[in-house]
Amino acid sequence: MTEREPREGGIDSLLRRSMAAPVPGLPPDFDQRLMREVSRSSRPLDGYRRILLTAYGLMSVVACAVVMRGQGLDWGAIAVMILGPLALVATVPWAWRATHTTLRHSAR
Amino acid sequence: MARAQSGDQKAFAELVSLHSALVFRLAVSILGREFIPEAEDVAQEVFLKVHHAIKSFRGEAEFSSWIYRITFNQAVNLKARVRFRSPHADETVLYHAVSPEPGPYRQAETAQRDQALAECIQTLPEVYQAALRLYYWLGAGAGEVAVLLGVPENTAKSYLHRARQLLRGMLKEKGYSCD
Repeated sequence: MTEREPREGGIDSLLRRSMAAPVPGLPPDFDQRLMREVSRSSRPLDGYRRILLTAYGLMSVVACAVVMRGQGLDWGAIAVMILGPLALVATVPWAWRATHTTLRHSAR
Repeated sequence: MARAQSGDQKAFAELVSLHSALVFRLAVSILGREFIPEAEDVAQEVFLKVHHAIKSFRGEAEFSSWIYRITFNQAVNLKARVRFRSPHADETVLYHAVSPEPGPYRQAETAQRDQALAECIQTLPEVYQAALRLYYWLGAGAGEVAVLLGVPENTAKSYLHRARQLLRGMLKEKGYSCD
């Protein structure tokens, strides 16, 4: 119970009376339905989708390389332009994690 | 917790059964009684988010505080969206309090005061509304209110005290007496 001033007794009983209603609860099968949803959402990519994504990535790389070569760029520049963003994408989350871990340790 | 973080579904199911009722209570206390099905959706969304982000949870806070914070934000966001879609949704029409007052005049007066009270509650800050609904509707003690809102127990008590004070003032302005 919370401590109430005497003059709060009126509003307290008013709230008690006007908010009196059945207390709702979750349906009994909520946990089971949720776990089914969890397994569906966390299912890894199936083989077919993985092959499709890999093929799409490789085709994009080849197409980019052909177009850039057609523009007269040498293979070194093409490699940097294709692999650079990939390296960045791979490095940023790692650097973010490393920085936050360091900050956390120094804060302790 | 560690097992759930390593991808053990059974351990995650244990976490769900441990926290689902309280997550739902918190969601329903924020959304109010006209949005009970939406509170169930919020509970489901919260656990899907938690499952998705559980590997990034580093234990800086209690797991329960983390999950209640997600619930609070999710429910407040949903409430803003549903209020925008249906700004006239009115919690008062769902009040089923049985009037102990005899006579139709007294009953009408009581119903009007209840309606005014419900309207006043909806103008309070979210944490005050949640604290009131948890305490007066869902029967939570000040300790449970504190845990679910992620504040010390004295702060939860002061939320309730301040909310009552504000409601008294607002009802007085509307011409209703609380005594």
